[in-house]
Amino acid sequence: MRSIRKRTSALVACAALLGCQEPPPSPLPAAGNAAPVRGGELRLASAFDIKSLDPAVASDALTGEAIELMFAGLVDFDDAGHIVPDLAERFERSEDGTTYRFFLRDNIFFHDGSPIRAEDCKRTIERALHPDTPGSFSLFYDRIAGFEDYQNKKADHLAGVVVEGERVLAIHLREPDATFLPAFAMQILRPVCPSAGDRYDDTWTPCGAGPFKLESWDRGRTLRLVRFDKWWQPGKPYLDRITYSYSMNIVTERYKLETGDLDTDRELSLPDTFRYQNDPRWKLLGEYDVIPSINGEEMNVEMAPFDNVEIRRAVAAAIDRDQIRMLKTPSLIPLYRVLVPSLGGDDPNFPAQKHDYAAALEHMRRAGFPYDPATGKGGWPKPITYPVYKQGLYELSAQLLQQQLAKIGLRLEIKVVSFPTYLMMTKRRGTTAMAPAGWQQDYPDPNDFFEPIFTTSAINDEDSNNGAFYSNPRLDDLVVRGRRELDAAKRKAIYDEADAIVCSDAPWAMEYQYRYYGVHQPYVKGLRQSAVWPNYVRDVWLDKPRALAMRRAPRGILATLEGLLR
Amino acid sequence: MSVLDPRARRRFWKNRGARVGLGFVAFLVAFALVGPLFARHDAYTSDFARGATVLGEPVGPSAVYWLGTDRLFRDVFVRLAYGARLSLVIAISATLISTVIGSAVGLVSGFYEGSSGARVPYAGIAVAGAGFVAVLAGHARLGGALLVLALAIVALAWVLPVKIAALDGPTLDADTALMRLVDVGLSFPFLLLVMALGAAFDRTTVSTILWTLGLTSWLGTARVVRAKTLTVRNLDFVGAARALGQPVWRILARHVLPNVAGPVIVLGTAQVASMIVAESVLSYLGVGISPPTPTWGHMLYEGQDAYESAPWLLVAPGVAILFSVLGFNLLGEGLRDALDPKED
Repeated sequence: MRSIRKRTSALVACAALLGCQEPPPSPLPAAGNAAPVRGGELRLASAFDIKSLDPAVASDALTGEAIELMFAGLVDFDDAGHIVPDLAERFERSEDGTTYRFFLRDNIFFHDGSPIRAEDCKRTIERALHPDTPGSFSLFYDRIAGFEDYQNKKADHLAGVVVEGERVLAIHLREPDATFLPAFAMQILRPVCPSAGDRYDDTWTPCGAGPFKLESWDRGRTLRLVRFDKWWQPGKPYLDRITYSYSMNIVTERYKLETGDLDTDRELSLPDTFRYQNDPRWKLLGEYDVIPSINGEEMNVEMAPFDNVEIRRAVAAAIDRDQIRMLKTPSLIPLYRVLVPSLGGDDPNFPAQKHDYAAALEHMRRAGFPYDPATGKGGWPKPITYPVYKQGLYELSAQLLQQQLAKIGLRLEIKVVSFPTYLMMTKRRGTTAMAPAGWQQDYPDPNDFFEPIFTTSAINDEDSNNGAFYSNPRLDDLVVRGRRELDAAKRKAIYDEADAIVCSDAPWAMEYQYRYYGVHQPYVKGLRQSAVWPNYVRDVWLDKPRALAMRRAPRGILATLEGLLR
Repeated sequence: MSVLDPRARRRFWKNRGARVGLGFVAFLVAFALVGPLFARHDAYTSDFARGATVLGEPVGPSAVYWLGTDRLFRDVFVRLAYGARLSLVIAISATLISTVIGSAVGLVSGFYEGSSGARVPYAGIAVAGAGFVAVLAGHARLGGALLVLALAIVALAWVLPVKIAALDGPTLDADTALMRLVDVGLSFPFLLLVMALGAAFDRTTVSTILWTLGLTSWLGTARVVRAKTLTVRNLDFVGAARALGQPVWRILARHVLPNVAGPVIVLGTAQVASMIVAESVLSYLGVGISPPTPTWGHMLYEGQDAYESAPWLLVAPGVAILFSVLGFNLLGEGLRDALDPKED
């Protein structure tokens, strides 16, 4: 017996040392119901934490998941990213495109039981866009009539937001704005209970009109949401409760998924991603969630050597995006232009940036700094400081970029800094010549990938969103036109032209967009891939066998031990 | 081994731990010196053709890559060897700096213990205090200027033949001054202090790391050397040298230093191990030498996410750090036992 034990221990030690990865245990069974079943608790977790559940100020994707459940808007996005009515039964746009009118449903209620009226929607909008409310979202809505006076505190109310009856809200814009509706469908202006008051207050207990309401929030640890029985969709939501556990180690998350103490896991390490993808029992239970975003290299056009457009073009041509993809193969999708595929950036004939080593050398020659790969002579004579913060992928891609740019005579000196220092260095004028940069979609419209990061209006001496300090009147003009244009085909042509300008002028060298791989237990049904919302669980239902449904969560000492482990 | 007399040498070779430690250290030095010569790949270049699997994972140990490749598909063996060079250069250089400063402070402190001391003007103390406050407030230049001014005031008080009221102050001997400085230094957690200094540099290079480590780790050596000097200075041959009118620096260099060298060497050997760990910790935490320079700490950091699928990324630098530290510690303990006559 002892020898068997010894041998087993030796094998386990060997497995641990050599990384002989155990296959994951079998998924837990599903009951096999075809129709949605009501009840049950969905348990989710994250390694991160949320700071605020107030839609007026919350900005990160993780908080957005909970807000999507607790707060409903007059309109929302469907799975494909199209705008559909939600608390409003319908909406209409005036002929000239300057007025939107929303007609609220009958018998809709806030979580505190009070009915939702147009007046509440106006109060919510004014609360979120008040100049004293922290955050920078108000800029999405600056075309609302009277916005400037309201922001400058010259008016007590937003003149453009008009209550036209108990269930009719009109929003007047000072000019046509194709981005208004998608921006309005975001979470920022979703109606909040009367208890929220007229002004933002960080002591408010979150209360909205979504399908789930707040039961408890133990900051840094757990958020519990329960079914809102007065939700306007009959029979929905299916779940009785959703519990989020925050600040949980990702390894703990994975173990809890396997033991059935969590129902989904979206924060898998790269090895675990492969582990589940390579297991036939789990393969069909996983899916990718693409977050529309662009990641690449931001080159400061006001600083040498990137004040020379040929050097910027050389960088864009020297970057081998397929090699960068291999740093995190399943998660990175190579990107060659500004518009991501979900926003129409999928034309194979578009003059995008692409890897072309010969062209890169030619651009260096045209810039006046020819480089001879055979002798290693030539190129830009000085090292270029390249700041990165301590984030695994950035540190790796920085080293790969260093190798790739060395081949055209640009020497990068990587400088690892803290995240605040990185932000300061990359957003302050005249501070950093080149740095990694990323932009994640706020709302699904092409404008969101141009106006906030490539236009002259996005340049500031401090905290500049346009970190390349790139200014091109032609691009500025196109962006203004694109925003005013209401015809979809014309808009596409405008943004394609803007995209071509950015690709050619290369204030950024595009590299990749990110996607997450997640797995769930087979009994989790109704998970939907949304083009806008990550981890969309509004319509999830649980198909658990009775024995599994009766299993109780650990209590007492076990729960305490779990807490300690976390 | 020339510092060891024949009996000490015999004690050293009889100690199995010491022999093992010496073996580890010798292997480490040989690996650092010769390892890169066996390299068939560049330590800084990714090999996407042979260094990566089709899934984009690093390849494991093989005939092509003896210790596999890392997450950027670079040769782990070559990077480990270059890392060994760097670790040894930093650890030994920092230990030398620390030993020189610690020995000098310890010798002076111990030799002058009990002396009458010199006047330190209140004005100098006040200006120095203001200088420290300025440094802590982030005004490094102003703080530095004030500290230099404070030193000038103190020096003026010492060299002026007449007593001026403005330069009046308490009397302070060298031993008290230096040992209080050591007390203050020891009150800071070593790694925290080193990390703060490391983070303060605009760009961390090999020299900044070794100076940072060297300048912050001499405190313990100073204490030990002072204690030993207190004993040695009262011995007859030191008294004889004083009676013959030899200058203090000569007495310290020729008569005291050789007699405190044993503990210093033992301490220094063990300190090399601490320096290897300290450098690895700094690199692991991102305040060490910037990538892509291979350091063991940074190799550990880069490999930690792939501990299950590519364990060699953790095992290689981890084992290297473990055996280096073990080797220097065993060697240090062996030297201590060899130099201790009671071991006979």
